[in-house]
Amino acid sequence: MGSAATPFGALALATAAIAAALLVHHLVARPPLTLATRLRLLLGLAVFPFLCAVATTGSGMQRTTEREFCGSCHVMGAHLKDVEDPTSTSLASRHARNPMFGGHACYTCHADYGMLGYPMTKLTGMGHVWYYYGGGYRDWPLEKFLAEVRIAKPFPNANCRQCHSGTLTSFRDAKEHRAMAQELEQNRVSCASAGCHGVAHPFNKRPEEL
Amino acid sequence: MRRLVRLLSKWPSEKALRAACVLGLVAIAIMVAGVLDGTSLPVVASMSVSQAFGVLAGFLYAVTVAAEAGKK
Repeated sequence: MGSAATPFGALALATAAIAAALLVHHLVARPPLTLATRLRLLLGLAVFPFLCAVATTGSGMQRTTEREFCGSCHVMGAHLKDVEDPTSTSLASRHARNPMFGGHACYTCHADYGMLGYPMTKLTGMGHVWYYYGGGYRDWPLEKFLAEVRIAKPFPNANCRQCHSGTLTSFRDAKEHRAMAQELEQNRVSCASAGCHGVAHPFNKRPEEL
Repeated sequence: MRRLVRLLSKWPSEKALRAACVLGLVAIAIMVAGVLDGTSLPVVASMSVSQAFGVLAGFLYAVTVAAEAGKK
């Protein structure tokens, strides 16, 4: 687990080790405050920690798009189990088996489209972490979470159309797409609904939600 | 301005640098935890809390260097 094996992760660990060695040396040896000491501390307190912070942010941003990251909170356990099940036929699982983006399937589908999609998705994700640790979800049993918590706002069809752009004739010629073009455009009918392509995560839905 | 110079002349450089080193080590530990663990809290802390500690450590170092320069 973790991102130590990525280039950013390796850089973060290397710079952290150098900075830590310089700082521990200063704490143990207590050298006089000469120019050499100040330069060593400049490296240990500014240069290497800055590089480490940049690398950590890079690896963290990458990590937060991975499926395992989303599944690291226990309330997402059932979702992770479903998408990792090779026999599951749920919409989410079928998408997660795509080798092009399967490892990042949660982020790929749930990240909002548009210029502000990336930062807004990250902010929403921060909100989820806050709800989990500060809002009490951490103490909820999985069954209670699955029964009571639903997606905050209707899933936008624009997210599906990041990949399924609708320009191919196979898409345009489908009579359902043609008949409901306006409803789909205005998000009044969801691509991921029971009458269309099926709900993405059906295992926690009540019969009336299917 | 004079108050600032007086304050810097009494700045406890040795203690401040030791505190900066400790804060720096805490920041580094949180960042390393975020890289190695990879679950939500360590990763988010490594991109936020650790950087606050690091900035505070750098600030203490910068003030100490300025104070030492002023004393000379």
